[in-house]
Amino acid sequence: MKYFLYWGCSLEASGVNYLRSLKPVCEALGMEFEEIPDWNCCGASVSYAGANDLAIKVLNARNLALAEKKANYDIIAPCSSCYIQMIKVNHEIQENESLRERVNSILAEDGLAYNGSIRVRHIQDVLFNDIGTEQIKRHVTKPLNGLKVAGYVGCQSVRPYGEYDSVHNPVVQDKLLEALDAKPVPFPKKIQCCGSGIFLPEMDLCLGLVRDILDDAVSHGAEIISTVCPMCAMNLEMYQDRINEKYGTDFDIPIVYLTQLMAVAFGMDLKRDAALHHNVIPPENILKAAIGN
Amino acid sequence: METNTSYDPSFAREVFENVDSGEEIKMCMQCGMCAASCPLREHMDYPPRQIFSMIRAGKRDMVLNANSIMMCTSCYTCQVRCPRGIPVIDVMHGLAHYAISKGILTRKDTAVFGREFWQQIYKTGRIDEKDLSRRYFFADGIITGIKKSLQMARMGIIMLLHGRMKILPEKKIKGIKSLRSMLDKAMQTGKGGSEV
Ligand code: SF4
Ligand code: SF4
Repeated sequence: MKYFLYWGCSLEASGVNYLRSLKPVCEALGMEFEEIPDWNCCGASVSYAGANDLAIKVLNARNLALAEKKANYDIIAPCSSCYIQMIKVNHEIQENESLRERVNSILAEDGLAYNGSIRVRHIQDVLFNDIGTEQIKRHVTKPLNGLKVAGYVGCQSVRPYGEYDSVHNPVVQDKLLEALDAKPVPFPKKIQCCGSGIFLPEMDLCLGLVRDILDDAVSHGAEIISTVCPMCAMNLEMYQDRINEKYGTDFDIPIVYLTQLMAVAFGMDLKRDAALHHNVIPPENILKAAIGN
Repeated sequence: METNTSYDPSFAREVFENVDSGEEIKMCMQCGMCAASCPLREHMDYPPRQIFSMIRAGKRDMVLNANSIMMCTSCYTCQVRCPRGIPVIDVMHGLAHYAISKGILTRKDTAVFGREFWQQIYKTGRIDEKDLSRRYFFADGIITGIKKSLQMARMGIIMLLHGRMKILPEKKIKGIKSLRSMLDKAMQTGKGGSEV
């Protein structure tokens, strides 16, 4: 199956271990990717400070139009922020004809137009619904043997439409983890926001949010936390020492992408494919112990 | 309490006409679901529900200076819980944009960060994380910039060592010129206005 992969700005920098692991895993599962030609940033969740709503819509409509012009594949947006920006604008344009005309009159600056024929998907959606857990299980050569994982979904990867999972109590990530023979721990804070795009400027306030999430995971027995968003990964991983300093805690729990766990369970190379060496809190020992290496 | 104040329609009209998604609050039934949803609610002066009733009561200054409109983390919890299906987040972002465009920077760091983010998209079409943080840190001048950078330097070095920072600066996308003219047009004709 062919898809557009819209990896966005973060996956080339702070989220490089997401992109590096996602590609070999998805290729092993028979997926093929194309890049949207000359794509631009989605605007993420903070552009409203400088841009009005129409400008942010145009930003995303340009990507949709460039994709539609090339082929009629679904777009996979692994970054949850890209996903929510794009799926939202896509729905609005599909459902509102006058908005579509208005946006198209602006896209015409570059001879572009978007007719609304593309579907925007999250990677969890595609893995669960297009590939399926049975198919995934068939690729598992190094089962994670009951490794206790807290599957952190975050807020933007399922919302606002809940197209493939419940917006209040998502289960898809846990099911994907089970397919790897990991044991997802109960984790009520799996949909609590980590501070998202305003973490950096509001760090003093957001450290508390992340502390609560880490605490919930650890107290439910998690040895490792999995995520599907570069912002979640960054906020959960990079500030643990600050949190420890501020709150007197002693968090030191690795944060990995779901696709990194998949690469490990698929018996792939821990460095080249799972890209574990990019993680700042090293997950190697825990994962090697789980797969019996 | 703001709920006892008599209805003053002029500010509400201003919001409906000039703030992106502003008209959406007409359907609000003041149930408070959204107010209980914000992750940073403990730090907010007026949660969304109260902001919306203050708009109806014409409390212009209080609304535009509220810290809450700039403390939205974009978690969408409000939107999936609101019984009236109001896109609360879009209204909060619309209000923040409107306030910032009037020069009100109640949460200065967040407003500056968001503005730098947007300006970088306008400049290159994409975001360069390291350049964004540098511009954000130094937006307040060189001294504050050095102080903020030093606080974050350790983390920057760690990320660099783990290959999680791009070494080369982000190149402009090929269609940057036409992207800019699209964005200019959207900023000129969009409801939320352009005075940034
Ligand atoms: S949840 Fe919806 S209806 Fe209830 S107060 Fe908030 S915006 Fe109004
Ligand atoms: S999206 Fe914004 S307004 Fe809505 S609950 Fe989250 S922080 Fe509050």
